[in-house]
Formats: sequence, structure tokens, C-alpha cells
Amino acid sequence: MQRRSFLLTPLLLPALAAARDAPRYAVASRATRLAFPRDHGAHPDFRTEWWYVTGALDAPGGGMGFQLTFFRSRPGIAEELDSPIAASQILFAHAALTRPGQRLLHAERAARANLGAGFSTTDCEVHVGAWSMQRSGAGADEHFRLVAQDAAFAFDLRLTPTQPLLLQGEGGWSQKGPRPELASHYVSWPQLRVGGRLVIDGKAQEATGRAWFDHEWSSEVLAAGAVGWDWIGINLDDGGALMAFRIRDAAGNTLYAHASLRDAGGRLTRFGPGEVGFTPVRRWTSPRNGALYPVQMEIRVGPHRIETAPVADDQEISARRPLPVSYWEGLVAIRGTLAGRGYLELTGYAGALRL
Amino acid sequence: MSSPTWRLSWWLIRAQFMTRRTATALSMLAIALGVSLGYAIHLINDAALADFSQAMKSVQGEPDAVLAPRDSSGHVPLALVDALAKDEAVALAVPVIETRVRLDDTATTVRLIGLDVFSAALLMPKLMPRQSGPEGATTNIFEDGVFASPALLARLNARVGAGVTATRGAARWTTRIRGDLPAVRGDELLLVADIAWVQAHFGPREGVGEVRLRLAPGVRPATWIATWSARLPAGLGLRAADDNLARMSNVSRAYRVNLNVLAMVALLTGAFLVFATQLTAVAQRSTQFALLGVLGLPPRMRLAQVLVEGLAIGIPGAAAGLGLGYGLAVLFTRLLGGDLGGGFFAASSPVVVPELAPALGFFVLGCGASLMGALYPAWLNRVQPLAQALKTGFAQLAPAAAAPRRGRQVALALVAVAAVALTRLPAIDDLPLAGYTAIALVLVLGIAAAPAATRLVFGALARTALPAPLRVAVQNILQAPLMAQVAASGLIVSFALTVSMVTMVSSFRTALDHWLDDVLPAPMYMRSKGVPLPADMLAALEQAQSPFARVERMATVMLTLDPRRPPVALLVRELDRADPAARLPFTGAVLAAPPGRITAWISEPLQELHGLAPGQTLRLPLLGREVEVFVGGVWRDYARQFGAVVIAAADYRALGGSVAATDLALWPRPGQEDAAGLWMREQAARHGIEGASSGEIRELSLSIFDKSFAVTYALEAAAMLIGLFGLAVTLAASVWLRARELATLSALGFDRAMLGRAIVFEGALIAVIGLVLGLACGIAVGAILTHVVNPQAFHWRMPLQVPWTQVLLGAALTLAAGMGASRFAARQATRLPAAQVLASAQ
Repeated sequence: MQRRSFLLTPLLLPALAAARDAPRYAVASRATRLAFPRDHGAHPDFRTEWWYVTGALDAPGGGMGFQLTFFRSRPGIAEELDSPIAASQILFAHAALTRPGQRLLHAERAARANLGAGFSTTDCEVHVGAWSMQRSGAGADEHFRLVAQDAAFAFDLRLTPTQPLLLQGEGGWSQKGPRPELASHYVSWPQLRVGGRLVIDGKAQEATGRAWFDHEWSSEVLAAGAVGWDWIGINLDDGGALMAFRIRDAAGNTLYAHASLRDAGGRLTRFGPGEVGFTPVRRWTSPRNGALYPVQMEIRVGPHRIETAPVADDQEISARRPLPVSYWEGLVAIRGTLAGRGYLELTGYAGALRL
Repeated sequence: MSSPTWRLSWWLIRAQFMTRRTATALSMLAIALGVSLGYAIHLINDAALADFSQAMKSVQGEPDAVLAPRDSSGHVPLALVDALAKDEAVALAVPVIETRVRLDDTATTVRLIGLDVFSAALLMPKLMPRQSGPEGATTNIFEDGVFASPALLARLNARVGAGVTATRGAARWTTRIRGDLPAVRGDELLLVADIAWVQAHFGPREGVGEVRLRLAPGVRPATWIATWSARLPAGLGLRAADDNLARMSNVSRAYRVNLNVLAMVALLTGAFLVFATQLTAVAQRSTQFALLGVLGLPPRMRLAQVLVEGLAIGIPGAAAGLGLGYGLAVLFTRLLGGDLGGGFFAASSPVVVPELAPALGFFVLGCGASLMGALYPAWLNRVQPLAQALKTGFAQLAPAAAAPRRGRQVALALVAVAAVALTRLPAIDDLPLAGYTAIALVLVLGIAAAPAATRLVFGALARTALPAPLRVAVQNILQAPLMAQVAASGLIVSFALTVSMVTMVSSFRTALDHWLDDVLPAPMYMRSKGVPLPADMLAALEQAQSPFARVERMATVMLTLDPRRPPVALLVRELDRADPAARLPFTGAVLAAPPGRITAWISEPLQELHGLAPGQTLRLPLLGREVEVFVGGVWRDYARQFGAVVIAAADYRALGGSVAATDLALWPRPGQEDAAGLWMREQAARHGIEGASSGEIRELSLSIFDKSFAVTYALEAAAMLIGLFGLAVTLAASVWLRARELATLSALGFDRAMLGRAIVFEGALIAVIGLVLGLACGIAVGAILTHVVNPQAFHWRMPLQVPWTQVLLGAALTLAAGMGASRFAARQATRLPAAQVLASAQ
């Protein structure tokens, strides 16, 4: 998915564009056959990687959403340095909590591998400080454990699969632009059952709900002229799962788009650029930076027409690390020919992201 | 008091100040001196500590806890860094590698701090680098490069972009200055780089230097530290944030307390001066007061008036003292930095910031001292029998004291026993408080012995056949000894303090002199502070053509035995394990270790601090583990107040340590002394290290010693002046009181010369009593300072050495000055026309 690499590449390391000796990054290849749990682990030869969990919690009084993301970046610097703590692999993590009608809670962490952060290359096991995401168990016991804590909130969640993995694109090889080199490896796991504990302002509560897991790694995904993207992943009420994205240029035109729908019966349908459309219905203005986010969007995927209804308008995230950036990522209810709850991500609306 | 009483009070004060200008001014000055000295010490130390903690905060941040190796050559393993970071109670773990490097083989050595910006940005924002490469940043901190503080850029006369080579021993890093450190304080010389680059070039290979920790909200640092400490390997220690400050404060504590005791002495002399002045004032005005009493001034008003006069001296004195103290502090910090001359806070230039509460405290102390001085005279004034005072003037209450009572003798004996007992007590909270109390008791004893001594001397003289005028003087003192006692006690105290100081300093200096002989066996020494000596220089010494017959290397490692105390120096030396006495000045027996044990020889301060004895086992945090060593002996060390341990380089290597030499002892080949000296100086200049002959080191050490005791000499002079002045004032007063008697004598045919001789004789006798008692007390106090206070406060011992020539010369000078003062008093008294005096008396 471009969405996160878009965030990462410019933000993390502005120097990279001008890196003198471009490091040899691995390239996402259509021929690669993914194997699990190994491919749940990190792929440090690639430039960028993330493990992204978003979910809706069943809370009294309406929808509550959470997000925990780990980014791994190989900026291509200090690669020759003979030190176990060279900054050649850097990890970032974001955690956020949406409460209906209230401001989003957000926290972030950053550290280099071997010095306060780490990842496994054999399974999903990644941490930055005391924040972690770990897969373990097999069969009915297989689950992810997500741990994050900050001054205002903390959670310790257990995510249990109810469906098989979903390999996006062609067996996990996902094309991101008009040219075939622009591609990533992309694995989703929708409809994860959530259980665990949530603490807000020191008050602990039980948490249940549904989550969506994404794991994606790539070295080059961005088409020229792209300024941002719209992305959505929806756990449908009937047990199905829908993912759709588009990449926009400065004028708001779509440069590339794609969607996939797995219905309750497990049948997977893919939709190409011509079959996917995003149309803003209502915009919300950020009081902090004046950005106009199309939080209410009509999305067309093949024969389906759906509309997003955010549980709160202000789900803008202003991250400071590694560089200041603002984007909108939040829990939305879905109405239309399909119904469910999903996460909508809107980037490139709060001023120009530096590339 | 009603307003007329106030007016009366004011009128009396003014009259008092007008008639006794010099005495009043001097009393004020003494109070001011005491206050200023104490206040200045407080201000300077406060500023130095604030400066230190600020510097520490800007470089170290404000962590809740720090995990560091207990051995300065050790490291924190990476796995432990990760384990700490994973602890939910840890909000932030900031790994740091800090080392010292030499730049471009120049004379500059700087701190190089390896940072992980991800974590350090939150804890140590002041160390964040600014990249200012040409045409926009094309580099970042993760790449090959260093960032220099503004002061360092200025020192190197370099600009961003310049190449630079950092060396440490054999390790070398050639890199580029990528930017500066805009938020680093003006005087700090430091380099910042990414932690991985520092590690790759200077180590430690599998770890970091230390980890600074911020704990999550709600976590109690003490509990957390205790829990983790139990799990740590022996070579590592966790310390709380405030340990740093406690340690720094401990560094100069004993020294500071000593200076404060000197300030107290100045204040007490001030109190004594007020006492002498007010006593004479009361005596001289007894007729006036009696008149006022008859007119209706109640006795308690007479008491209050003298107290108010004391305050009238104390208030301006204390106020002037505050101003003077502030000025002193500012001057001192500008000229010498914040180390109070003790050499503790090198290279800092703190800013003195006065605060209200301590200033008020010192002000009250100054006023209190002058009130204390006025207390007895005030009481005397209250109990004056009015009728007698109206007729004959001041009445001494001597009869009660005339016959020594048994109770008094018993009390004095008890005081003496207590003083001796106190010198046997250990330090309280590391301070020789019992010793100081014993000193105070000795002075009390001296003063209390004055009446008996006066009686003894003058009683004996009264029985001898003396010329009439002298006999008159003797009888006079015997009958009314108060003034003489006051004059003598002033001298006793001031001379005792002087003698004790001179004795202590002289003992120390002699001991230091001998010690320097012992610890400088080689003709030449080289040393590089904090950075290992350059590898190529050490290699050159190995060459056959080197002008040296023998070279001994030494490396220093700092060991943290107690996190709240300054670290102990481990000196790794190339010495003969069978004969350590050839290099170390042992204070007692040297024991051979049982086979298979490693021997360590500990310094005297370490022995004092840890209560160790030869033959015992000492556990040292060495090379990441706890190593048990056999204490083979105790050697004298005046250089490292917080303790040192010597172990043989061969043993250290056998334990797995590598000796990165920082110090060299050099023996030139016979006949090649000049070439050797030349070589040393040339190398020293090239690498920016220190090189000196043993003679130069010795000279320098002694001159530093003398400089750091300069304050004491000044105080001694001040004490003597005050004592002499007290003598002059009281003598003048007693002569004045006897004006009628002297006039009668002169009417009876005594000429001026005879009267003058009598008064000078009286003064000389009082001075002799004061000096003899002062000398005795002084030697006792000197012995307490040398044998109790010094070992307890500074942990070093020395033999007592009374400098008789200086002391006796001082006594003779004081006696001469005392006689001069009494001659002056005599002239004042005998100048008055006898007839007028006799007439006015009626």
C-alpha cells in the first residue's frame, strides 16, 4: 500500500532522495511465494515495512476505534558501519484511540533496531520500547498480542483470527502504480476478534470488537506526481472484507486505484483502476491547520456503492516523529450496498508532503 | 517603649558611637567580616552547585535513574538496554556513550558524546545538533560526522564542514564537522555524534556507556531501582538522579564546613569585640546610667539600652557583611571559579544569585553575635548599685569570683574530660563535629582558666617587693580583675586560634613535603588527563634509541563503590609485587597475599572511608564483575581525598583488563638527561599532555598548597589584630576607670613616667597570661585539628609539627604590640591634669 510508504519515505529521511550510494534494496517480485509464519516476520532487505492493526471496539454509547502500527525503515545509511547499533534499521510506532465525539488520543515511539527496538525475521514479533506486536500459537490458539501504553491511555489486546489470511493482489504481490516495478508484498487479515483490556485516564475496561491486520513491505511504490492517497479497509457486518485505495495527484485526480472484496463465503473479487472511484460528499476542516478532509466519501467498487460516516469528524493525527505531519485516519461506519465498520485514511490534504 | 524613651535611647547610642568611633567601627567590621565570609562561602558553593547541576542537566538531561557500569572502563550490554526499554515502567531509555578524545593531535581534548537522537531528543534537547551543511542539508546525524559546540568551533578556529581527526589511544576516527550544537552552553567543549559511529571507533563493542532512564508516570523511582538493582550483574549499578548532586555536594562538603567554621570564628571574635566595647562603655558610663536610674529609668531599661546598642553595632555590621560577602563571592567566582580554592569544580564559571532566605539567615546570625556580645555588659549594667555608681563609678562584682569554689573546679575538670572524650568519637555524618566541639571546649577552658591564672600571677607578684607604682598596678588587678580577664581572654582565644592554624598548616606542609619525596621516585613524569597517551608516543618509548632507561606506565579507572560518594580511583601500576614499598609510602605493615590471591594496596582515605585494615578482603567492581582482592597494605595519599586502590598491572591483565596508560614515570639514561627533557617537552607540546620533572611537580604542589591556605593566613592575621585591639580597648578603659586613682597617685608625687611604666607593666603581664594560656590552648587545638578533624573530614593523617620559631616569634610580636597598646592607653590617662580629674570626681 502506498499509503504508508507515502508517509514514511518523505518523513523519515529527507536525505534519502539524495543518497549518494543508493543501497541495494530488494524488489517486490511477482514470483515470490509467501510462506507463513516466516513472512509475518520482518524483511529487512526492503526499504519499508509496516504491521498495521486498526479496529472497532464495542463500547457503550457508540463506536470506539483503536490503531497500533509499527513501521520499519531501512534508510540506506550507516550500512557499512561496523556496529550492531548502526542506524540502518529504524522502527517507529503509532498508537491512537478514537472515542465518539472526543478528540483522538495519539502517541508515538521511535528507536533504532538493537537499541530499544527490535524485530524478528521469522515471525511477527516487533517492539519499540515497551510497545509490541507479537503473533504466537497455532491453530485455534493462534493470536496476536498488542501492547501499547502512554500517559493518557494504554491497551493490551489479544486478536484471534476468525478467517484465513487474505493475500492481496496476486498471491500477496500488490501492484501500486501504472508501472509494474511499483509494487509491494501485501498481506491482510480481516475480521480478527478482539479481546483484552483498555485503560483510559487510569480507568481500566474490558475491550471487545473486530480488527483488521495489514502487513506490507516494499522498496519502491510511488508513482511520479502523487501527493497523497485515500484508503479504506472494512470489516463487513456479514463477515466479508473490503479494501480499496486510490492514489491522487495535486489536482485530486486518481493516478491509480485498486480494490478487493472477500465475501462472507470466502470468494475473493479484485477490481482494477477503472472499477474503483472515490467521490467526496462532505469535507471537514481541521481547526489546527485548515486542511479540508473529505471525511464523508462515496466509494464505488464494481457494482457496490457505499458511503463513509465518521464516528467523529476530528480524527486527524498530528505526528511529530520523525518529522511533523498531519493526516486523517479514523473509524467510519459504512452505509450503502455493503454495511460494516472500517478505517479510512486520508493523506496529502494538510499541505504538501515533502517528497 | 514610649517615644521619649526612644529618643533617649537614640541619644545614648549616638553619644556612644561618637565617643568610641574606632571601637564601634572595628566591632562592626568584625561582625561584617564574619557574616561576609560565611555568606560568601554559602553563595559561592550554591552557585557552583547550581552551575554544576545545570551543566549536568544540559548534558545529561534530568533522568529519574541512570544505569552505569561501576567500573569506568566497563559498559552496559546491549541486551540489557533492550530489556530496560521493554519494561513498561520505563517511559524512556536513553543510551549514551561518552568518552574523551584528542583532536588532531592538538593540545585539545574534548568530550565526545555518542547519542541516539530518537531517545536523546526527549531527555537532552540541549545536545541536539543542527546540521548546517552547504546548500541545504544533505546529511543527517546518522551518517559519518560530528557536531561541535560553539566554544569548540571557536577553540579549533574551524568551521562547519572542516575535517577533523579524533584519537583515543590507538583508536582513530577521521571525519568531518557536519554542524553545530546551538543549545550547548557557551563554555562547554564537546562533540556530539551518532552513538553507533562513536561505538564503531572507540567502543565498547557490545554495549553502551550508560543508560539514562525516565520512568513512566506513577512509578516510584526508589522502588523501581531497588527491584532492578537486585537483578543486575555485579559490574553495573543503578543510581537515582539526585545521587549525582549528592555526590558533587559531598565532594566539597568537608572543605566547606571547615571554611564555615572559620567564618564562625570570625563571627565569634566579632561578638567578643562587641563584648569588650560594650563592657567598657558600660563601665565608663556607669555614672550617667546611675543618674538616669535615679531619675526613674527602670533597671530593665538599662539592660535594654545596652542590648539595643549591641544591635546598633550588629545591624549595620551584618548588612555590610552581606554586601561584602556578595562582592567577595562575585569576585571569587570571576577570578577562580566556584571551587573555593579547593580545586573541586574545575573549569566552571558560575553565576552568583543571592536569595532572600539565606541572606536573612546570615543577617540574623550577625545581629545575634553582637547581641550575644552585649548580653553580659547589659546584665552588669542592670545590676549596678545606683548609689555606689553615682559616687564612685563602675562597680565590679569581683568578690564572688575572688574565692575559687570547689564546684567551679569540678566543672572545669569535667569540661576537660569531655574535651578529651570528644576527640575519641568518630565522625558524625562524615563531619568531625565532635572534634569541632572539643575545640570549642578547649577555648572555653582557656578562658575559664584566665581568672585563676590572673590571681596566681598577680598574687605572686603582690607578695614580692616591687616598686610602688608597679605594686599599685598589681594590687589594682588583684582587687578588680574583670577588665584584665576580659583583655586576657581575647588574647587567649585569638592566639590559640593562630597557633592552632599555624601548627596544622605546618604539620600538613611538612607531611606533604615528605610524601612528595616518596611518591615521586622518578626524575620525570608525563600525564594525559582522561585520554590514554598517544599510541605512537608509547611506541617511541619502546625504541632502542629512546633516552630513557626505565619507563613505568600507569592507567586510572574510576570505580563506584557507593553511588552517593565520589568514585574511587583504581591505579593500575607497573610495580614489583614483591616490593610495593619501593613505590608506595606505606603507613604500616605490608602483608603478602596468600597464594593465588590478588593484592591491592589501599590509600589512607579509602581505609578511613571503608574501615578496612591490611589482611582484609575488599570487593571491587572490576571488568564487569565483582573481584575480591587482598588488602596488602595502606599507603599515604594526599592527592585523592576520596580514596584510591593500587593493583599491579600484571594482575589487572591477568583479570582480563587492558592497560590504557594515562601516566608515565620516566628514568632517563645516565648522561642523557638533557635529551630526555627535550624529548618530553617536545612530546608534551605536540600532544597537548603534561610533562614535568619531579622537582617541578613538587614545587607546583607546594605552591598550590600554600595558595589554598592563603585564606587561613589572612584569618590568622585578622584574629591576632582583633585580640590586640581587645587588649588595647580594655586596657584603655581600665585606665580610664582609674583616672581618679591615677590622679591621686600623681598628686602624691608619682611622675608621668612612673605611672606610664606601671600601666605598661600591667599590660605586659596581662598579655603574657593571655599568650601563655593561648599557646597551650593553641597546641591542644592544633593537635585536635591534625589528629581528629583532618582525618575525619579529609581522611588523611599526618604527624603533629609545632613550628616553634614561628609561634614564639608571633608571641614576642604580640607581646610587643600589647605593650605598645598599653603605652598608648597610659599616655591617654596620664595626659589629663590631675587636679581637674580630682575636682570633677567630687
